Amino acid sequence: MHKVSPPLSIKLSIPSEFGYERVVREAVASFARRVGVASERVEDLKTAVSEACLNAIEHGNAQMPGTRVDVNCVWENDVLMVRVLDHGLRRYAGHVAPCIACKVHGEAPPRGMGLYLIAQLVDTCGFESSPDGGNVLYMSMHTRAMA
Amino acid sequence: MLDDDLSVHIREREGVAIIDLIGDVTTFAEEKITGAYNEVSRRGARNILLNFRQNDYIKSAGIAILIGVVTEVNRRNQRLAVSGLSQHFQKIFRMVGLAQYIDIYQDEDEAIRGLTAAMT
Repeated sequence: MHKVSPPLSIKLSIPSEFGYERVVREAVASFARRVGVASERVEDLKTAVSEACLNAIEHGNAQMPGTRVDVNCVWENDVLMVRVLDHGLRRYAGHVAPCIACKVHGEAPPRGMGLYLIAQLVDTCGFESSPDGGNVLYMSMHTRAMA
Repeated sequence: MLDDDLSVHIREREGVAIIDLIGDVTTFAEEKITGAYNEVSRRGARNILLNFRQNDYIKSAGIAILIGVVTEVNRRNQRLAVSGLSQHFQKIFRMVGLAQYIDIYQDEDEAIRGLTAAMT
């Protein structure tokens, strides 16, 4: 019989400035290890969370001074769910596979791979609506091997 | 919060121009990396190794910088390799397709062997 895990959670709030995503990355990684995420997957999560925070800082909060990025992590029933919330000053969505040849040949901008990387590195991800009108990017990761 | 934790050094070994990238590769690394690349190219480098050291953090914006280097390498008909990446970032490089354009080696010695063998 499947054992139901008690929910555990952490909440973080960082200034919307480049560099603070490292604080989130380390905190979420520590939490993920604590709830049993395998070390290789912790590295995946660190990169995914960093990219999500950077998008929130650069796009969702449009690098507006004084804004913040909130990050909520909940572990329940062997799933770690991370939500990254911004003020929604700019909307962004979608993760298109990068055309590396287009980028190398100068036919597409070299940037724009963050959401694609996130989608590749976690089990599920997407956007949720927020009553405050901000962007909410969620990502989840199972904390033990799926049967 | 400052976000510029990358040291870049240039050296040469057995005809290979080595650019040591020590630290994290973020948005702010562009000037240092492209500057080092332009310098070794100015010196006539044909084989270039980006030797990553102590890189715990490579952003997608950092990968975009490397795509810019690949564009120039192709234009100048040079050969580009990387070494020292963690298994995680090797996976990331393959994931975004950079491995099609860059030879990935585990460490500097292996990269030198690979690049010098390709010269002969």
